[in-house]
Amino acid sequence: MQGFDVNKQGFDVNKIVQVSPTAHAQSAEITQWQIVNDMKIAVGFEGADIEKYRKKVLGVTDVSCLARYGVKGPQAAQWLADHEIAIPANSNSWTMCDQKTLVMRLGSSEFLLEDQWGGGACKQLAADSSRQANVYKVARADAAFILSGSAVLNLLSELCAIDLSEQSLSSKEVVMTQVAGISATVLRQTIAGEPVYRLWCDGTYGAYMWQVLLDIAVELGGGAVGLAQYQN
Amino acid sequence: MKLLNCPINGTRPLSEFIFGGEYRVAPDQDSCSDAQWAAYVHNRNGSPGDKKEWWYHSPSGTWFIAERNTLTDKVSRTYLLSNANLNPALESAQ
Amino acid sequence: MTLRIAKQTGEWLNRDKKIHFEFEGQALTAFKGDTITSALWAAGLTVLGRSFKYHRARGILSLANHDVNILVTDGIDTNMRADVVEVTEGMKLSAVNTSGSVKKDKNSYIDSISPLLPVGFYYKAFHTPRRLFPFWENIIRKAAGLGIVNFNYPRILKRKQHTHCDVLVIGAGPSGLTAAYLAAQAGLTVTIVDENKQAGGSLGYDRAGDAASVAQLQDLLNKVTSQDNITLLTASYAAGYYPDHLIPIVSAQGISKVRARAVIVASGAFEQPPVFRYNDLPAVMLGSAAQRLIYRYGVKPFNHGLVLTANDYGYRVALDLLQAGTKVVAVVDMRKAGDAAYTAKLIEHGVKIYTGHCVYEALASSDKSSVKGAVICAYDDKNNLALTSNKFTLACDGIAMSAGWTGASALLYQAGTGMQFNYQIEQFIPSRLPDGMFAAGKVNGVFNLEQRLQDGVRAANAAIGYLGLKAVQTEAITHTGSSPSHPYPMVPHEKGKNFVDFDEDIQIKDFVNAAKEGFDNIELMKRFTTVGMGPSQGKHSNMNAIRILAKIRNLPVEKIGTTTSRPFFHPTPIGHLAGRGFHAHRLTSLHDWHHTHGAVFTDIGAWKRAAYYPAPGQAKQDAIQAEAMAVRHSAGIIDSSSFGKIELHGPDAAEFLERFFTGVYKTQKVGACRYLMLLDESGVVVDDGIASRLAEDLFYLSIGTSNAAAVYREMQRYQQMWQLNLGLVNVTGAFGAIGIAGPAARIILATLTDLDLSDEAFPISCVREAKVAGVAARVIRLSFVSDKTYELHVPMSQVPHVWHALMTVGEKHGLRPFGSDTQRLLRLEMGHAMPGVDTDGLTNPFEIAADWAIKMNKAYFIGQRSLAILAKRPLRKQLVPFVLAQNFAGEMPMDCNLVIEGQDIIGRVTSISYSQFIGRCIGFAYVTPDKTALGSTFSIRTDNGSLVTATVVATPFLNNQKDA
Repeated sequence: MQGFDVNKQGFDVNKIVQVSPTAHAQSAEITQWQIVNDMKIAVGFEGADIEKYRKKVLGVTDVSCLARYGVKGPQAAQWLADHEIAIPANSNSWTMCDQKTLVMRLGSSEFLLEDQWGGGACKQLAADSSRQANVYKVARADAAFILSGSAVLNLLSELCAIDLSEQSLSSKEVVMTQVAGISATVLRQTIAGEPVYRLWCDGTYGAYMWQVLLDIAVELGGGAVGLAQYQN
Repeated sequence: MKLLNCPINGTRPLSEFIFGGEYRVAPDQDSCSDAQWAAYVHNRNGSPGDKKEWWYHSPSGTWFIAERNTLTDKVSRTYLLSNANLNPALESAQ
Repeated sequence: MTLRIAKQTGEWLNRDKKIHFEFEGQALTAFKGDTITSALWAAGLTVLGRSFKYHRARGILSLANHDVNILVTDGIDTNMRADVVEVTEGMKLSAVNTSGSVKKDKNSYIDSISPLLPVGFYYKAFHTPRRLFPFWENIIRKAAGLGIVNFNYPRILKRKQHTHCDVLVIGAGPSGLTAAYLAAQAGLTVTIVDENKQAGGSLGYDRAGDAASVAQLQDLLNKVTSQDNITLLTASYAAGYYPDHLIPIVSAQGISKVRARAVIVASGAFEQPPVFRYNDLPAVMLGSAAQRLIYRYGVKPFNHGLVLTANDYGYRVALDLLQAGTKVVAVVDMRKAGDAAYTAKLIEHGVKIYTGHCVYEALASSDKSSVKGAVICAYDDKNNLALTSNKFTLACDGIAMSAGWTGASALLYQAGTGMQFNYQIEQFIPSRLPDGMFAAGKVNGVFNLEQRLQDGVRAANAAIGYLGLKAVQTEAITHTGSSPSHPYPMVPHEKGKNFVDFDEDIQIKDFVNAAKEGFDNIELMKRFTTVGMGPSQGKHSNMNAIRILAKIRNLPVEKIGTTTSRPFFHPTPIGHLAGRGFHAHRLTSLHDWHHTHGAVFTDIGAWKRAAYYPAPGQAKQDAIQAEAMAVRHSAGIIDSSSFGKIELHGPDAAEFLERFFTGVYKTQKVGACRYLMLLDESGVVVDDGIASRLAEDLFYLSIGTSNAAAVYREMQRYQQMWQLNLGLVNVTGAFGAIGIAGPAARIILATLTDLDLSDEAFPISCVREAKVAGVAARVIRLSFVSDKTYELHVPMSQVPHVWHALMTVGEKHGLRPFGSDTQRLLRLEMGHAMPGVDTDGLTNPFEIAADWAIKMNKAYFIGQRSLAILAKRPLRKQLVPFVLAQNFAGEMPMDCNLVIEGQDIIGRVTSISYSQFIGRCIGFAYVTPDKTALGSTFSIRTDNGSLVTATVVATPFLNNQKDA
């Protein structure tokens, strides 16, 4: 059995634990799990040294546990501004709000926010249950990834038909495209000084996406990198 | 593979799109005859030439209109239907 | 015996590395860098393969990846092209398509009976009697064929990648390299690709005995490699052209789909063989093949060679042969005169030149393994006549032949280039190039080296300008001097065996016969003669075929035209095309649970759904019945997370639903659910579902799994048209759903929620928002699979928590999971027809008795106008619920079995299943309207032909229980 198993005796109805949507595809033998943001997620695989090396060559990290918030509608931009969220001025671009929350503008009137380490904006927005005309909350359950390392474009070139190189994908651009045959959102980001690619897809495709990314990463000399490598 | 320009997301390979058929305006269903309605529902004009077509950019969920010459397979322009309606000059120019 | 010569400047060999290999059992050595063919030729072997049809001995023709008579196998790969595949240590090779050995092929007798096998022979001879065809087919397939397919071929994963560049240059010869360098200098990213192992094209081997071009090539390569923005890909071929400049580049590693903003085709030209009797003997080869052999592999083509030429190129070949140490017996020029400078040079070397002469026939050595001489005679170039009265024989051990070229224009054709026949150079060249496509060098009709370099510059500038940068645009370059190609290098011979297509052993007379049969259009002639249909795809034969047909029909060449060029340029392994093979699939958050509990999965749309959970050794039907019985007697739980789930927010949400679906929603109360039926414009049932009103301005829709994405897409489209004040949100992946059904469902659920579940507070077709096991849930009460069904819609990641909670408290109530197959049975027992199962692409709602769901008095809904027309017409078929006899024990009818009356088909079964709970077989079938009354009977024909009687009953079927 991979990922999680339920021990009925140990089940606590008062303790809601979610599991990363990619978990099914992760090897039970080597994965170290931790609960982050109420979600069980892989924080380590084969040890820090190996993972640090992979990160440089081609690392795949599951960051589905980061809190996200989606909203759309003609007044969504205004609503976010009212909540003191910095929003990107242009369609299909992103910005960082208070250095802690990634704000993506998908098309012109839809937004996807993701709290980075230490960020709390998504939780705050989610707490506002008021409903307002022309502002529609978009429930999210994404599988989210960080792709790092020198061979990352080599991997992406097999999965995506469009040019995602630095020359073509500007640093503040968000693209909604197809990756490995399914709809996905991609951008370039710098985390702790390292340029990485970020990838989101519907969580129900998460295990599939993880498997595809990992297969290629391993072929190219990289592999799975636990969340711990980014948790500082 | 052909490229198509989504008015919101830019130029993408055709694999990101789903074809939605020719853009056609239905006759007024209250005043048209049964025969007129049946012709609208069942008949298509297959002769090559300039057509307005529905296309859907799948990753972003964007429906738009592409004006394509079905003889040369050249797309002259693409736009959101709503934008076309907002600009009657554009519509009448066709 | 060895024909290996001293190291040549620029050769492709590593002479420090010896390679040992076997060919047809003979141990041989080669150098690293040799191809199989060059190694064999160096060792003095001449019979390297057998032809496809007549099993004639064949040697080198082009050494340019279309020597398809020399296909070998190493036991793993089937048809290796020996002229381009590098020989490696330990290879054990043998020729394909031989019986016995390549040297003494038992099937070579076929050649002697070839007059009995004219073109089209098979079509006519074995057509009748039909019953004998398998017999003949067996014989023919064994005799005429290529390698034997290796069914144990391993799956080797080849990557398919997407790459992007500003300019793609196809062909790294002098014009291509020049163009690439210039484009890169302008700051563009350039990819240049060449199918050869090393760049340089003809600059590497066409030397006319002078090594100066080697330095020129090195200089050009240094320039190209100094540019960081040039990617040079060798041993990779541009396999085809796809719209908007997408060109797959195939290499041993896989396929790179290059998307270029502009493409420069500098792919060169294929040398074309002159046609004369026995032009296919081993040691009769193209001039350029002889040059490649010398300069790439350090192998002397012959000891005493004769050069047959119909252009100036043959003179250059003669000079190269001399340089390699071949004694050039003579140069035979089919034209009246050759180039003066070359002539003088050759005469200086003591070479005899016969102008206005042809090779009337080549003479085979006694064992037919090579050439022993050539019969020469005067040739009337104008009238295509061999004047044999004064023929004479020259002894030689090989013939190099040069008669002309055809552009390697496949990709240009595929891109839609207008090609015109240029009589100055006797070649089809581009006359109208598509946007962003450019041609340079020989493929563009430019042959002189200096001019080719200029043409590379010109094409690069044109591409740079096309991409919006400043560049000097120059005029097209036109060829000067004598024509590089002869208009009709075909020497007639009464005894034939003058081969046009070496792949398929097609001679001049075959074309004449085909034309006589009426196949005198180039495309028809191709099919009838099979010219150009072999593995080389006409690279050395199509042009001659066109010339021959033009002559037969007495038409100019451009009136004949060319056959259609299609990808791939060279045969491309299926493994390359398959690539990694992606199979995207969606999993619910309970997937692991289902897996652990032995679920059998089924694919529904992109989803993997648990179909049923068999106990070890339990049959499918038993598992399904047991799960269904649990739902009827205690409780069952199902993961319905794959349902389509859509939210409609905003003041116009109800208005949208009324237009999109057939029902009424404006009057729907908050907390109530209503049925959704979607039609298309012709009134055909597309899908159905449930709308739960959560607020005045918020509806939550759940619809079937398989069609959900399409329904959401259509909703988006209509919203584009209607522009109502609302927002559509697809939450299919964000929300999961659990169905809990059966008499104990309520009591189980009650332990996990404060929600009042009583019938009064929470009747069927209602929705409530409440916490279940601490999770915020949308609870919908339905009667799809049972009267007591609750669907819990919760965030996908929290589904497992709720599921475990329900399983934990439900255990003592007999709660057990059931799968989607069981759900099908349960809904059937309830008497619910399912769109897509019980309807097809023509079914209207009246035919499934769904009149109740259609609110015709609304202003508009999709399909309404068509229904108004359909309502006026009598029904032709109707879906009815039926049961089989109580103790029915015959062959069980299946879905899609036909309903028969007399000789007529009057309907079909759409769903049928045995129900253990009801104790009989139940189902839905379409029948004619006269068979729909309760108690009517009709006959279903089973797969084995027996007729089974079915009786129309009322739904729900549950009322038809045995003892009811």
